[in-house]
Amino acid sequence: MRLAATRLAATLAAGAGAVWLAYRLDPNDVPIYMNMGLAALVAIGLSLLMGFAGQISLGQGAFYALGAYTAAILTVGLDPDERLINPDAGIPPWAAVLVAPVLTALVAAAVGVPLLRLRGHYLAFATLALHLILIAALFAEDGFTGGQDPGLIIAKPLEVAGFAMGGVGDAARNLAAVIWGLVTVALLVGVNLVRSRAGRALRAIATSEAAAAAAGINVAAYKLRLFVLAAGLAGLAGGLFAFRLGFLSPDAFPVIISIEFVVIVVVGGLGSVYGAVLGAIAIVWLQDRLQQLGTREQLLGFDLPVQAPGVFRIGVFALILIVVMLFLPRGVLPALGDGLRRARRGR
Amino acid sequence: MTELVQLVVIGLSTGSAFALVGISFALIFRTTNIVNFAQGAFAVLGGQLTVWLVDKEWPTAAAAIVAVLLVTAIGALVGLVAVGIRGLTTPLASLVITLGVAFVFQALQLLAFGDRPHTYPAVSGRAWTVHGVVVQPQYVLIASVTVVAALLLTLVLRRTIIGYALVATSDSVRAAELVGLSLRSVAVVTFAVSALLSAVGGLLLTPIQPVNYDSDVGIAINGFAAAAFGGLVSIRLAFVGGLVLGVAQQLVVGYGDVITPQARQYELAAALVIMLVLIGWRSRKETVT
Amino acid sequence: MTAGSPTPPLPLLEVEGLVVRYGPATAVDGVSLRLDAGERVALIGPNGAGKSSLLNAICGLFKPAGGRVRVAGRDVTGHSPGEIVRLGVTQVPEGRQVFASLPVEANLFLGAFGREFRGELVTAALRYARRRGQVQERLERVYELLPKLHELRDRPAGQTSGGEQQMVAIGRALMAEPRLLAVDELSLGLAPLVVQDLSEFLRRLNEEEGVALLLVEQNAALAFELCERAYVLEAGRCVLEGPSSELERNELVRTAYLGGGLEVA
Repeated sequence: MRLAATRLAATLAAGAGAVWLAYRLDPNDVPIYMNMGLAALVAIGLSLLMGFAGQISLGQGAFYALGAYTAAILTVGLDPDERLINPDAGIPPWAAVLVAPVLTALVAAAVGVPLLRLRGHYLAFATLALHLILIAALFAEDGFTGGQDPGLIIAKPLEVAGFAMGGVGDAARNLAAVIWGLVTVALLVGVNLVRSRAGRALRAIATSEAAAAAAGINVAAYKLRLFVLAAGLAGLAGGLFAFRLGFLSPDAFPVIISIEFVVIVVVGGLGSVYGAVLGAIAIVWLQDRLQQLGTREQLLGFDLPVQAPGVFRIGVFALILIVVMLFLPRGVLPALGDGLRRARRGR
Repeated sequence: MTELVQLVVIGLSTGSAFALVGISFALIFRTTNIVNFAQGAFAVLGGQLTVWLVDKEWPTAAAAIVAVLLVTAIGALVGLVAVGIRGLTTPLASLVITLGVAFVFQALQLLAFGDRPHTYPAVSGRAWTVHGVVVQPQYVLIASVTVVAALLLTLVLRRTIIGYALVATSDSVRAAELVGLSLRSVAVVTFAVSALLSAVGGLLLTPIQPVNYDSDVGIAINGFAAAAFGGLVSIRLAFVGGLVLGVAQQLVVGYGDVITPQARQYELAAALVIMLVLIGWRSRKETVT
Repeated sequence: MTAGSPTPPLPLLEVEGLVVRYGPATAVDGVSLRLDAGERVALIGPNGAGKSSLLNAICGLFKPAGGRVRVAGRDVTGHSPGEIVRLGVTQVPEGRQVFASLPVEANLFLGAFGREFRGELVTAALRYARRRGQVQERLERVYELLPKLHELRDRPAGQTSGGEQQMVAIGRALMAEPRLLAVDELSLGLAPLVVQDLSEFLRRLNEEEGVALLLVEQNAALAFELCERAYVLEAGRCVLEGPSSELERNELVRTAYLGGGLEVA
C-alpha cells in the first residue's frame, strides 16, 4: 500500500516535471519533445498488449493515422464542398480530439473480436493489413481526405477555455504540456491496470494462457480489452498530432512508423509502462539523430548515397529489434536497471 | 464472360506466387511455431537478385537458379537467428526477430538496388489465345512451377527422412527432441526450404509485378492470408488460399469500378477483407485452448 | 585409463545429487541413483514427487540446477537429448508422444535417425542414408520383437489405440539401439491387460537383449513385479531405496503405495 502511494506520488511528480519542462525547453526542442510524448502514448498501450496479451499489433501507425484523420476531418467538416466555403463547418476541435480515440477503439474492437481468439499472431498481419488498407484509402478517397495533394489543412486552432494549442510558439508549448499531461494519465491507468485484479489475470495470461483459461479467466476478453485500449491511446495521440502541424497527408504515416512503435516497446521492455515512456524518449531522439546523420553528404570520409536516411532509419531499428530480442528479451531498459542494481549490491 | 475468364487466368497465375509464399508460412509455423515475417523478403530477394544478374547479361535461367540458391542459404541463416536461444526466445520474440530481419533486408536492398521497381523480361514466346482469352507463357510457367513445387514438397515430407523429421517436429517438439533431433537444426532446414519456395514464387512473379525494396510487406501479407486459409498449418489449403486470393484481387480490379471508381487502388484491401471475413468465420470453430 | 588395470565396472547410469528447479519451485532436490548394465530399476512415488522431472533432466530435456549425470562414466550433465541418446539412453516419454501424423514405420525410422544426428539435419540424413542397410536390419529385429508394429506399419500413429501407441513409442526407442530404456509411466491411461502384456515384453527385452530398464511408475505393484530394485521419491527427495522384495514388505510403502494391505477391499 505504502509502495503504491510512493509510486503514485513519484509518477505525478515526474508528470508535473514533464509538463513544466514544456515551458522551459528551447523553442527548437519543443517539436521533438511533442513527438516523444505522442510516441509514449502509443507505446504505453502497445507495451501492455505485447507484455500481457502476448500479442503484437503491427498497425499502431494505422490507429495513429486513423485518430489523426478522424480529428482533422471532423474539425473541418465531413462535406468536402462545404469545407471550402464555410469556415464554421465541422465540430469544435476539442470534441473532434475526443472522438478520435473512441472511433479507433471501435475499429480495433471490430478487428480484434474474431482474430484474438486464434493462435498464431493473426492480429499482427491483420493490423498491418489495416495499415496498408488505410493508406490506400487515404490516397484513393482524396476528395474526402485531401490525399497527397493538397493534403488536409486544418484552419481551426485547437482551443480549450482560451488555451490555444498548435505547432508554434506558446501554442506549441501548451500542446506539449497537454500531451505530457496525458502521458502521465496513461501511465497511471496502465500501472493501475497492471496492479489491479484484472492485472493479476493479465500476468497469469502472460505466463501461461492455458493456466489462465483453466483458472476461469476469459483470456480472449482480456486480450481484446488490451488491444482496444492500445488502439484508443494511439487514436488519441493521432488526434493531437493532427493539430501539431495543422496539416495531414498520407505519407506522414508510412508502415515503418508502426514498426518504430514496436521498437520503442521492445527497448523499453514488454509490459513495462515506464519503460515504454523511456523507450519513446530514447528512440525518438535516435530517430532525430539518424535523420541528421543520413542527410549529411559524407560520413567518416565516405560519400553517403541519397537513400542514406531511409537506410539508416529502417536498418538501425531493424538491427535493434533483432539484437534486443535475441539477447535482452526483457528489454534494454529493464536490463540496464538490473545491471545497476547488481552493481550497487556488489559494491 | 471472356473478361471474367481472362481475370481468373491472370488471378490464378499471380495467386500461384501467393500460394508458394503461403505454403512457406504454413511449413514454418507448423514445424517451429514461428510466424515468419521475413517470408515476403525471401520472395522479393528472389526477384531482385534475378533482375540484378539478368542485368549483368546472365541467361535468365542461370540467374534464377543462382538467385534461388542464394536466398535458400539466406533462409537457413534467418532460421538460425529466428529460433533464438533455447528457453529464452518465445514465439512472440521470434516474430519480432523476423520482423527485424525483414527490415534489415529492406535497408540492404534500398542501399544496393535503390528505391525504384525492378523487373526482367518474361519468358519469350507467343501468347496463346483461347476463345478470346489471352494466356501469357509466363502465367503458365508460374502455375506449373507452383504445382510441381508443391508436389515435390509433399513428396519430401511424406517419403524422406528429412521430411519425417520436419513433420515429427510439428507433431511433438518434445518427442522429436527425445528422439535426438534438435529444434534449431530442424528450423534451419525448414527456413531454407521455405526461402527456396518463396524465392521461386517471387522471381516468377517479378516480370508481371515489378519488385521494389519494400514490396515484401504486401507479399508477406498476401502469403500469410493464403496460409491463414488453412489455419496456418495446412499446406494444401494454403495452396488453395493463394489461388483464391489471386483471383479475388483480379476480380476487384476488373469489376470493382461498379462500386467505386478508385477500385484499382483497393486491390489488396478487398482481397484482405475477404480473407479477414474467412478467418473470422474460421475463428468461430477454432478457439484458443 | 591404463589397459588391463582391474577397475570395477562403471555403472551404466550414475546420478549424483541432482537438483531440478522451475523458477522458484524445486522439483528434484538432490537425488542420487545408480543403475548397472542389464539391471531393471524402478523409480516410484506419488504424483508430483519429481520422478518425471528427474528422468527428463537425465535425458537432457532440461538443464539441472545442480548435481551430476554420468552415462558409462561420461559426464553428460546438461548435454542435449541427442547426445544422451547416442550414448545409449533412450526415453519412452509419458503419454507416448508418438508422431501422430506419420505412419508407424516413419516413427520407427526416426528413432534410428536420431542416432545419426549431430546438430545438423542434412549431413545427418547423408550418414543415415549410408547406414540404411543396418537400419533396415534393425527394423526387421524390432518387427520380430513387436510383430504388431509390422501389421500397423502404414497406419498413421495417431490412429492406433493407446496400447499400440505405447508399442510404437517403445519400438521407436529401440530403433536407437539403447543400452538403457527409460520408460515414463508405462501404465498411464492403459487397460490392465495391455499393461500386463507390455510389462512382460519389457522383461523379455531385458532378459533376452540385455537392455537395462529404468521404469518411472506411479503403479508401485507393477514396478515391484517388473524391477529388481527401486527408489522411492517423495517431494523431490529419495526417501527409500532397496530391492523390490524388501520394499514390498516395508510398512511405509505398503500403506502409501500398495493400497494399505488388507484393510482396503
